Amino acid sequence: MLQKLRIVLFCFCSVFASESLVSNFTFAVARGPSTGTLWVLSRGDAGSGVTLVTLVPGESQVNVVSMQSDYFDQEKTAVHDGIFSDVTGETRRTPFIYTEKLGFVLPMFGLDSIDSFRNPEGIFSVKTSRVLETPLDEPLVEVDSAYSFPMAKSIGSFAYDTSTSVLWISRGILGLERYDVSASVIDPKTSYFMLNGENGSLDTLSRNVKIKASEHPPIYGLALHPETSMLWLGTEKGLYHQTAARSFKKIDALSDLRITGVWIGGSPVQVIVEASAREKSVTKSSLWRSWNGSDFKEVVFRDTLGKIQKNVYDKADYSVSNVAFIQNKAFLAVQTIEGSISGLLKLDSLGAIPWSYSRQWLYDVNAGVLNSNSILTSVAAIPLTDSIMGLAVSSYGSGISVSADSGLTWSHILNQAAVKGDLGSIRMVPSVIVAGGESLVAYKVGKPSKITIEVFSYDMRRVRTIVKGAPREKNAVRSSKATEDFWDGYDEHGRPCAMGIYYVRVKDNHGHVGWGKVMTLGGNKK
Amino acid sequence: MKKIALFCLLLVAFVYADKKAMLGSFDGFVERMGASAHELGRGNTGSADTAAQPGAYWNPALLSFKTQLAYNLHAEKRDLDRAGGSLGVEGRVGKRMGVGFAMLYRGDHSFDVVSDDDETLGNTSPYFTIMYLGFAYRVSRRDGIGVSFSMSYDNLNISEYYDDISLVDSYRSPVSFNLGWVRQWNKKWSTSVVIRNLSFSKNLSAVWTRNPSTDNSVISTEGVRPKVLQIGLGYRSMLFGKPISAWMEALDYQIADTLLAFDPDRHVWTGRVGFEYEVIPQGSVSIGMNDMNFSLGLGYQFNIRIGKKRWPFDVSYALLYESKANLWNPLSFAVRGWIP
Repeated sequence: MLQKLRIVLFCFCSVFASESLVSNFTFAVARGPSTGTLWVLSRGDAGSGVTLVTLVPGESQVNVVSMQSDYFDQEKTAVHDGIFSDVTGETRRTPFIYTEKLGFVLPMFGLDSIDSFRNPEGIFSVKTSRVLETPLDEPLVEVDSAYSFPMAKSIGSFAYDTSTSVLWISRGILGLERYDVSASVIDPKTSYFMLNGENGSLDTLSRNVKIKASEHPPIYGLALHPETSMLWLGTEKGLYHQTAARSFKKIDALSDLRITGVWIGGSPVQVIVEASAREKSVTKSSLWRSWNGSDFKEVVFRDTLGKIQKNVYDKADYSVSNVAFIQNKAFLAVQTIEGSISGLLKLDSLGAIPWSYSRQWLYDVNAGVLNSNSILTSVAAIPLTDSIMGLAVSSYGSGISVSADSGLTWSHILNQAAVKGDLGSIRMVPSVIVAGGESLVAYKVGKPSKITIEVFSYDMRRVRTIVKGAPREKNAVRSSKATEDFWDGYDEHGRPCAMGIYYVRVKDNHGHVGWGKVMTLGGNKK
Repeated sequence: MKKIALFCLLLVAFVYADKKAMLGSFDGFVERMGASAHELGRGNTGSADTAAQPGAYWNPALLSFKTQLAYNLHAEKRDLDRAGGSLGVEGRVGKRMGVGFAMLYRGDHSFDVVSDDDETLGNTSPYFTIMYLGFAYRVSRRDGIGVSFSMSYDNLNISEYYDDISLVDSYRSPVSFNLGWVRQWNKKWSTSVVIRNLSFSKNLSAVWTRNPSTDNSVISTEGVRPKVLQIGLGYRSMLFGKPISAWMEALDYQIADTLLAFDPDRHVWTGRVGFEYEVIPQGSVSIGMNDMNFSLGLGYQFNIRIGKKRWPFDVSYALLYESKANLWNPLSFAVRGWIP
């Protein structure tokens, strides 16, 4: 198929020099062009864009050396509007890949008829300093009416074959797109294929053909086996793996499942598969794994005592955002619909590794992975040095976190406005909330302190004591403890405070006092 | 005097009572904070003083004792960028009636709008007002009754910073009403009863729903302005040949959308007490306590002759210490005058 290619170059030299993330609302992290660098995708109030972060691991934490950001066109983004609200796994993540030839590759969404970013239009790619916006023309085919909505053709995942310089893109009902940059990155050769569900053949998509989902199942998940360079396809009707040039075989154990994600990596090689389907207004998800070539089995969840727990994953509406592999461990970023629960799931040879009794398997803000109680949106393995493979996660509101010790300790990297030391200024983030929201009380102490935080109404009546005499360490930027130092708009007894402005007093045990301001729009009782 | 001392003890007991209901969580702070520096200097007491202004706010029954057209203007700045004030006009209608208007204002003139992304989007000035229109009737030489209708208007001034949400800035409450009675027993004693924040709903409660967004992207909230029973007592006497007065008020805030709630957890009791003494001719000093806020006031009366008429003025100053927050507020001024 002839691909009409339009390359739009954006060169924002001044923007690119900014030393901050595009936004703290990040959706993907990927290894960068060199060791110690990583790409971050953000979508915030100011727009969407990418940031190249250069890191260096220190003794106790990973330090930022530099950041360079670039924005996408305001009419385009890589994060579609249904990322949290869609109900099945294939569109509840932001797919990405890093390739040497193309750089950081992301899907590109434009506005649809109701001004929502739900219209798949192509891909973004950025290598060093320029974002390339590449529209992908849609093949002239007919599809079943059930798949005629734009997001049925969105990009589900990428896989890149280094030996052939071919980028494979899963496109849902449109099947597979082959994006060949072996000859030229500027003028790639593209072609579409659809999988024959019956015989496993990969058929070229012809002009004006009618795609029947019953015969050619939509392809959502896609991965390249690192040892065999064979493709694995997660489809509406099961999991397929490549056996020859254009031949695929179905995995019998998963033949009845709607496979929405496939990830392969690690040593020994693990194949992790996500099944996600909507049944009677309920999303059913399951997580499967093949360990070192063995048969696929549902991932086992053990508690801290080693006892197998059932109905942990498959009874929730979890979806996997991405998987990172470091040696024999897999790190899965998972979240429920609307992100009410999210975290990092760690798998070893036995299954999910528990870490606490209460929220046994999901590593989140309580495990120090995130800086605040926000949704964990993705994960990636990044080489920090020649000998250290780091782990990075993105989050909805807390920037990114990076670990140099396979997830034991984390460094949090996010945009933070400066506050004055010794409680010289108090910043409420955000400063406008509704009851049930969270406004972080951001302050800074110059030495270890015992902090008391109280909320007062306009007429200086105390309505809430947030913490009293809580120990806080000094910090170069902020000393706040995000899991405790926030106001949720409620008074001492769980009643939502009346709409209005409130004053937050922070006192330490060294005689310092600071005040911040926050506005609540009210809300309902807890 | 023993009765007064006992009353003061009761007030203090109310102040220290540890109740579950928390007044600060509820609507109505503009009303609770009072009006005019003169009354603020003596602990925000005014409901039993026939000279208190603006009468439409303090106790609509006071309007029945007005003899001249009067006006008052109050402005104050409190710590943490809080600005407030009030405006009142009142006068006599016929031989037995009085009418008055009052507007109370509170705002914050420097509020930083900070986004979820830790960006300062701008600086704004939210404000909150409440207006009163009062009518009174002089039932007897000693008694007056009155009613005032009130309505609040708030403006949060933040919607311009949120492009992706259709936020609503301004809110107007339905009309509520306040009933008042005052009795000047003799030259020394006066008493008052005011019932505030009644409305025309089923439970006579001032309840309204506020919807912060036009696209329903932000959850709506129901506001309840507590009903208030305010009982005032005034005593005037002479000390060293100079006028001295003592003022006390007991307030019961009912934190519930019911006609009457007998559960003590749904009531907040507070008290106010103030003393005023004319230390020099036309010049007075006052002290007071409102809940746990302490105040000191100064006042001076003078006349300005314009043409053949003498125009009386009364200027006041108040210093306020908000003890729970440890804030000193030295900037509260008011002027009131009478048109001859």
